[in-house]
Amino acid sequence: MPTLTYLQAISDAMRTEMRADERVFVMGEDVGVFGGAFKVTDGFTEEFGPERVMDTPLAESAIIGCAIGAATEGMRPIAEMQFSDFISCGFDQLVNVAGKMFYRQGLSVNITVRLPSGGGFSGGPFHSQNPEAWFMHAPGLKVVAPSTAEDAKGLLIKAVRDPNPVVFMEHKHLYRRVKGEVPEGTYETDFTARVAREGTDLVVIAYGAMVHTALEATAELDASVEVLDLRSLVPLDEEAILASVRKCSKVVIVDEANQMCAAGAQVAALIAERGWEDLDGPVVRVATPDVPIPFSPPLEQAVLPQVDDVREAVRELLDY
Amino acid sequence: MPQMGVSVAEGTLVEWKKQVGDWVEADEVICAISTDKIDTDVEAPATGRVAEIRVDVGETVEVGVVLATISTDAKPGEPHVSESSSREGTSEADVAMDAAGEAGELQGDTADDDATPASAQSEARPRSAGGRRYSPVVMRMAAEHDLDLSQIEGTGRGGRVRKQDVLAFLESGGAGAAPAEPPMHIESPYKPDAPAPPKKRAPRFAGTPEPVSGGTLSRMRQSIGRAMVESLQTAATCTTIVEADMTRVDAARKRLGVSFLPIVARAAIETLREHPALNATLDGEAYTRYDGVHLGIAVALDEGLIVPVIRDAQDLSVEGLAGRIKDVAQRARANRLDPDEVRGGTFTITNPGGAGSIMATPVINQPQVAILDTEAVVKRPVVVTDELGNDSIAIRQMTYLCMSWDHRALDGITAARFLRALADRLEAWPVG
Repeated sequence: MPTLTYLQAISDAMRTEMRADERVFVMGEDVGVFGGAFKVTDGFTEEFGPERVMDTPLAESAIIGCAIGAATEGMRPIAEMQFSDFISCGFDQLVNVAGKMFYRQGLSVNITVRLPSGGGFSGGPFHSQNPEAWFMHAPGLKVVAPSTAEDAKGLLIKAVRDPNPVVFMEHKHLYRRVKGEVPEGTYETDFTARVAREGTDLVVIAYGAMVHTALEATAELDASVEVLDLRSLVPLDEEAILASVRKCSKVVIVDEANQMCAAGAQVAALIAERGWEDLDGPVVRVATPDVPIPFSPPLEQAVLPQVDDVREAVRELLDY
Repeated sequence: MPQMGVSVAEGTLVEWKKQVGDWVEADEVICAISTDKIDTDVEAPATGRVAEIRVDVGETVEVGVVLATISTDAKPGEPHVSESSSREGTSEADVAMDAAGEAGELQGDTADDDATPASAQSEARPRSAGGRRYSPVVMRMAAEHDLDLSQIEGTGRGGRVRKQDVLAFLESGGAGAAPAEPPMHIESPYKPDAPAPPKKRAPRFAGTPEPVSGGTLSRMRQSIGRAMVESLQTAATCTTIVEADMTRVDAARKRLGVSFLPIVARAAIETLREHPALNATLDGEAYTRYDGVHLGIAVALDEGLIVPVIRDAQDLSVEGLAGRIKDVAQRARANRLDPDEVRGGTFTITNPGGAGSIMATPVINQPQVAILDTEAVVKRPVVVTDELGNDSIAIRQMTYLCMSWDHRALDGITAARFLRALADRLEAWPVG
């Protein structure tokens, strides 16, 4: 099995699907000749030609709108937002058109929108956001967020084949930092949660880059700490969450997103509603405070959840 | 001394509105202070009894200095702490708000749990006996294993009993761990029921409630009662129910400006002409069918039900029936019906649906053999099939046609055929 980076796994998923299915094509800003801002589509134009690797204007609304039109004609477009932050310009097309098309007209909108997201590299307030909760709140959209190379490929293939619009959150910080064995050829990863590490005393629930933060934070503690990688935010794997809560009874939920109404808030609400009798302490959240992400490296570190922040929260709750 | 503004560093105490031993509610004014910018009242950050006053009137102190303490464990009306030295677990809340300006934050300190976030120190917080609090999972495990939690030593913060402590207690076969079940007959799948708790004897019923009025039934009710009992004792009463889509009838009646009743009556008359077995009387063994329909229409009066008869109703149009129904109903309400007008019917329609009922089993008006009951017309989602055979769900105006009939004179199939034919007629009723 080849070892790929998270970024290579995403490229591999798209290449595999494009080779297997003529309906699949990619579009976005600089995805063609330039190979993408992060080089995810490097070499795609050479292999698939400019008709299937379409460079677009700087117009996210048009990118998503075109993808929706193509999907209603039976295509399976993959639209790249150069940075997830820019999707606010395509919000109406995604939330109001793509998300509601099946409800209103019975038409399937088989689009995948890739969102390079997250901070940790001094990208500042316009290039570091984690906007997944916006789309969790919009009926009709699925939202997935892989943390490993293997899941990045499997979830992306599943997303491309899913008849619904899928928002694919790929964390920029993981692009070249996370490597792993990735099966060759094609495979789908279900939109379910994954136990990243088994444990019995406390469970840390996270997704995306925060899974690695959680694993590192709890690696050397004198306690058996489980780490649950949500992988999919919509649909949310409620049973997996409740099973971990039942087993561990103490929960720390980590979001890299701003705290207010983040994915973790939904998880906390679920546990309060359906996991109450399994709790042995307050549900604790670690998240980015409700501020824009600063440029300054030390300030950015101060707002984004760090390994030490998670470790501190876990220790506090273990002692409770 | 609370922070009153970014630049204010100190304040002078002007007046204490509460003294040691006074009860104070959270947010109630406890003292007044003066700074170089403003004079202002200070509100109590917690509910309790003023335990100590540390700054006298006229003194000037820096922001952050404790002005007074409030005992939050105290209760209104209780003796003051100093008067009740045996009391334990006094907690104190510093009135001082720290320099960070977290007005109202309580620097709490309780004997039973010093780790609890200060903001949670309210009387409303559920506590178990003995002043210890337990988490939901610990409470559940205790209930499942019938444990006395006070027997378990807690290793959590402030001696809190954690899930791990309960698990360890159970593993060590703790004193209160699940009592051994008594041996049972090996083949019996039953467990003896726990003995029922002694029932509280209900107070003996002291008699019927006080009557608000009394007397005998009115003559009319007596007469109705006799007729109804006689009918049920005479006829072999059965009821058949068919569902009908009244959407077209509704459109037609609106166009004509009439109620549902005259259209149903007209449809029933037409259907009776095709099913004469129901337009009949059975008197003893004398079974008589009729050509003309003398239609009884049940009219509800305050005192009771009366059934005026519209003679030769088959000769009347929908509008004609509507007029006659209105006429007899009005005269019935005015007590101006001829005795002959309530006799000689061959079929009766009763119409309680206006009150909202959807189904009923009417009593046959003797010596007739059937009575049709029309119920409320309500909107329901139903499956409709178009001319191409495609099904869809539509909102239609539906009703139940309920008919009681005499099994001595006819059989269920006859009743069902009649009702189905009536429903078909209504569902195809010409709108225009």
